[in-house]
Amino acid sequence: MSAVPGDTAHGPGRLIVAVYGVLALAATARSGVQIIRDLDRAPTAYLLSGLAAVVYLVATVALARGGVRWRPVAWAAIGTELVGVLSVGALSLAAPQLFADATVWSGFGRGYGYVPLVLPVVGLWWLARTRPREGVPDR
Amino acid sequence: MWTPLALAVVGLSLALAAWAGRRAVRDRPVILRQLLAGAVIEALIVVEVVVAVLTANGSPPADVVTFWGYLVTALVVLPFAAAWAFAERTRWSSVVLVVAALTSAFLQYRLLQVFAG
Repeated sequence: MSAVPGDTAHGPGRLIVAVYGVLALAATARSGVQIIRDLDRAPTAYLLSGLAAVVYLVATVALARGGVRWRPVAWAAIGTELVGVLSVGALSLAAPQLFADATVWSGFGRGYGYVPLVLPVVGLWWLARTRPREGVPDR
Repeated sequence: MWTPLALAVVGLSLALAAWAGRRAVRDRPVILRQLLAGAVIEALIVVEVVVAVLTANGSPPADVVTFWGYLVTALVVLPFAAAWAFAERTRWSSVVLVVAALTSAFLQYRLLQVFAG
């Protein structure tokens, strides 16, 4: 396995990066179409989906790069995701009138098989597990 | 023409996912024969693209942009998994292939839905 400290891209990380990549692709494509074609129909929802898509792209790249330089980026992106899916998920149920159409994070990611809810938890766990420790040789 | 093609890709993708899943459980990486199976699926998707281009004027799908979005995504998913299979010689390449093959099957299912409108 790779000897780079704080590596996040190998072993089980491949799976996490792959699932992030698929979600990033799906969210980018769908929100891109929505923003270009129907933005005036549900501006808040579609721009929020667009923001989510960008966060997923950043998280995918940061996890794929790994190492000490990209790990803070991954922490920030995945943390944003968790806050986003929890707050937008709760808001979409408590005050549905705020959103004219579903976002990636609506209903805690219901439209995407709850992957947006599970993935940031898995991502943060993976970052914590691969954290480089001083004096401990990397596996 | 369209429906049997898509159903063939769904069936082959699910079979490849099961095959890769078995190897993942046994702690084995992706092997060349699985990549050849993936190449067969990829060839069918290329045929789909050709068919979609040729019939673009005849009976267009209900939502053209979404249709092409899914089709192009379907085209790139398996090659990505294959590239990973070369880079990662552990069971995790098999797990990634499971995800990619399931994604491929799901994309065909969505394509059928979008095509029907």
